[in-house]
Amino acid sequence: MISSGFFDISHSARRQFQAIFAATALAASPFLILPQLRRLMLATSFLPHLYCYLRNPALVWTHVVADSLIGVSYLAISVTLGYLVHKARRDIPFHWMLLAFGMFIIACGSTHFMEVVTVWIPVYVLSAAVKVVTAVLSLSTAVVLPWTVPRVLTLVRQAKASEQVTAQLRASEERKEALLREVHHRVKNNLSVICSLFYLQSTRTKDAGAIQIFRDMEDRVRSMALVHESLYSSENLARIDFSEYAQALAKDILSSHGSPRVPVCLKCEMEPIIMEADLAVPCGLILTELISNALKHGFPNDTGGEVRMMLRSRPQGECTLCVEDNGVGIPADLNIDSSPSLGLRLVRSLAHQIRGRFELLKLDPGTSAHLRFTVDHHGP
Amino acid sequence: MYPRVLIVEDEILIADELRERLARFGFSVIAAVDSAEEGIAIATRECPDLVLMDIRLTGEKDGVEAAKEIRQQLDVPIVYLTAYSDQLTMERVKGTEYDGFILKPFQRQELESTIEVAMQRHAIRAKQKTE
Repeated sequence: MISSGFFDISHSARRQFQAIFAATALAASPFLILPQLRRLMLATSFLPHLYCYLRNPALVWTHVVADSLIGVSYLAISVTLGYLVHKARRDIPFHWMLLAFGMFIIACGSTHFMEVVTVWIPVYVLSAAVKVVTAVLSLSTAVVLPWTVPRVLTLVRQAKASEQVTAQLRASEERKEALLREVHHRVKNNLSVICSLFYLQSTRTKDAGAIQIFRDMEDRVRSMALVHESLYSSENLARIDFSEYAQALAKDILSSHGSPRVPVCLKCEMEPIIMEADLAVPCGLILTELISNALKHGFPNDTGGEVRMMLRSRPQGECTLCVEDNGVGIPADLNIDSSPSLGLRLVRSLAHQIRGRFELLKLDPGTSAHLRFTVDHHGP
Repeated sequence: MYPRVLIVEDEILIADELRERLARFGFSVIAAVDSAEEGIAIATRECPDLVLMDIRLTGEKDGVEAAKEIRQQLDVPIVYLTAYSDQLTMERVKGTEYDGFILKPFQRQELESTIEVAMQRHAIRAKQKTE
């Protein structure tokens, strides 16, 4: 396939090559057509350079080797330039200028090759013709080059300006990230202060019911603070791994509710699920209610037991969060849709908010709470 | 005699909560201050048995620097108490000598157990030094 690789040239480049080829053919045609001109060009009625060098081998070979090396190097340089223009013709401004340089360098190289030839074969007319062509190409390059200087300078300035814009963008990105971190930190700090307020208030009463209310409130606020803690340490500051968060939260609640007399152990089977903060907060609150409910009502006789937490995901972002205990189980007459308990009411409302479905099932022994919901994955 | 505690914490309500909780564990809080400079001054003057140190504080220096200075002058157990858990802060914390670390908002049992462990660790270290 000729149309691939180096020969895969654009329409305009192909036209340029065609023009160069036509000009070369036109220039060469008189020599091929006219036998007299050909004879003139290839006339060898002169003395080869060999005699000028007095057949001194050192002198002859120094000239031959040096001229060959120069010629080959010029050829290599122009091949590289041609390849560069071919590969990056859309990104390099003035690629025609580079091509002209290539032609100029090839011409210079060919004069050196002629020097090598004329050591033995005195084709001085041809050598002169090659020199004329080189002179024309060199002169054109020399004349055209100064005109491009202002435009090249403009390009350099533009490149520098765009570099500055990139640096500014990066700096503003960093500032934004620092600001976001600061916001998460402050939100978390304020939530910590609210926890302190609940605690301080709870110490002012002897009423066990009231103390329990403050503790529940503290747990709820703490679950929200923990989301901001996770966001603060997360890489993108907007999403968290819910499985890690949920395990930290569950351990937290267990340590605040558990008493040494009631050893309740926690088992987690969690698949990693990345969540946005606005989903993680309600899910965290639901989890808080489910685990505290299991601890508060599941094991009334200080018997101890086990709480299992499971998080599974299926394709299309469907998730199931499940909290099970092997305690005494829910009362037979409990209706989750009409129960006056705030915990269940919160779970119901939050499940509705995240467009999820909540179910409470009786196990033997124990209770199983299921929450099914969908995680939207937008963006990277 | 009750162990004497110095609280360095810039959030006054959290300091109040700590004060009450510590009183329940049987500690006596000698002061709660909100800057590293005050913390260093009181610690070196009063020689407390424990310092609870927040990392973000009012004033020039932060808690990590304050802990470093206090430990240079005084052999006292230091427990960090902070809302920060990012890598940079943790790296800085690891570069100092301390006996405990609690993330805010803390748990009821967490505070008590961390302080207990810190005091014990310090006591064992002090014993090893005298031997």
